[in-house]
Amino acid sequence: MTIASYYRPETVDEALGILATRGPELLVIAGGTIAMPLINEGISLPTEVMGLRRAGLDTFAPQGDVVVIGATLPITRLTQQTDVPLLRLAALRTASWSVRNMATVGGNLFAPPPAGDVATALLALDARVTLRGLDGSRELVLDKFWTGFMTTALNPGELLTEIKVPLENVTTTFIKFGRKRDNTPAVVTVAVVAELNDGAVAGARIALGAAGPHPIRARNAEAELHGRALSASVIAAAADAAAAECDPFTDALASETYRRQMVRLFVGRALAQLKPATNGREA
Amino acid sequence: MVSVIVSFEVSGRKVEAMVAPLTTLQSVLRNQLGLTSVKEGCRQGGCGSCTVLVDGEPMMSCLLPVEDVAGRRVTTVEALSTPERLDQIQRAFLDNNGYQCGYCTPGMEMVAKALLDHNPHPTRDEIVDALAGNVCRCTGYRPIIDSIEAAARAGQEAAAR
Repeated sequence: MTIASYYRPETVDEALGILATRGPELLVIAGGTIAMPLINEGISLPTEVMGLRRAGLDTFAPQGDVVVIGATLPITRLTQQTDVPLLRLAALRTASWSVRNMATVGGNLFAPPPAGDVATALLALDARVTLRGLDGSRELVLDKFWTGFMTTALNPGELLTEIKVPLENVTTTFIKFGRKRDNTPAVVTVAVVAELNDGAVAGARIALGAAGPHPIRARNAEAELHGRALSASVIAAAADAAAAECDPFTDALASETYRRQMVRLFVGRALAQLKPATNGREA
Repeated sequence: MVSVIVSFEVSGRKVEAMVAPLTTLQSVLRNQLGLTSVKEGCRQGGCGSCTVLVDGEPMMSCLLPVEDVAGRRVTTVEALSTPERLDQIQRAFLDNNGYQCGYCTPGMEMVAKALLDHNPHPTRDEIVDALAGNVCRCTGYRPIIDSIEAAARAGQEAAAR
């Protein structure tokens, strides 16, 4: 054990002060479910660690047409408190009960495979993140938070403090496809948020997890849907577009080629679930 | 490195541990307090054999710095029974062949305890969902799920009397 200090600040300001003083050597954790396995294995060898469990960020606050989620809200509490079906589904498909009791919503934005299933749902919901430093805070759309594989827009000295989710009257679907049903990283995760108007798609956001260096929007697929009814041919065109524009990786669970095929399959299925089946059969 | 002293409660008993920073709860429970039900399995949060309850909620003690349970209530499987009498969950595991080698059993039983405390009438699917983080390499799970169903029935019968 080489760790000199484990700081446990009780306010965000105290945490920002420690971050400013201890600098880039400081490893910041919250639920610990990402960092502790690496520390236990000796893969990560931090000299100093700061835990945010007591920093007062485990909050959930509906404010008008937005819900503000504190970065360290445990995933289990998200499943209990949110009435956004997409968020609840994504949270319930994350890891296992004991891990959900520890893992946090903010931490999910940093989780492997790059970023987790809740993060993918938040991207589809067009969430914004608040990044706070000693000089003040700034807001970013989640789409601009990830800048590459395991890199983010967080500047030195900044902490992710909250996630703001707009509450819209939309239709959503969520599919996580893994090698087994539960407690497994995603082969591919698909989250869709759509506004349907008389059967036609007035607007749609499609987010893909484990299909790029971070959760990504399938914007070409979204464009295929715009203004059109969700016919089998429109859905197929959107699924093809998503498969073409995604940028998946190969790991122990699946190859890049397989993931791309699964993106096509599950984007198609997710879109078909957006509306009741027509002609008496499922698309 | 400066050691720290952490006070918390284990199964109704106040304890203190002197630890290096970021020592895991699993290590303290097993190596300092002699609670050998708390296994060091994968150390990744993937196997569930270190599961304990913190303020009644199941957590992976291998991922939890012990400093984070200061002042909190930790429950291990040792709290379920007395030397004379098994808890109904343990009784049900015994009666339904819910274990073979026994390695995963304490973690399984702690999840069962938390599940039945929250939900005395779980469906079979709810039991399966609750156990998703606990790995057993012997039984193939069916007897474990049967055991928890039987423990739930025993609890309902006891409540009805």
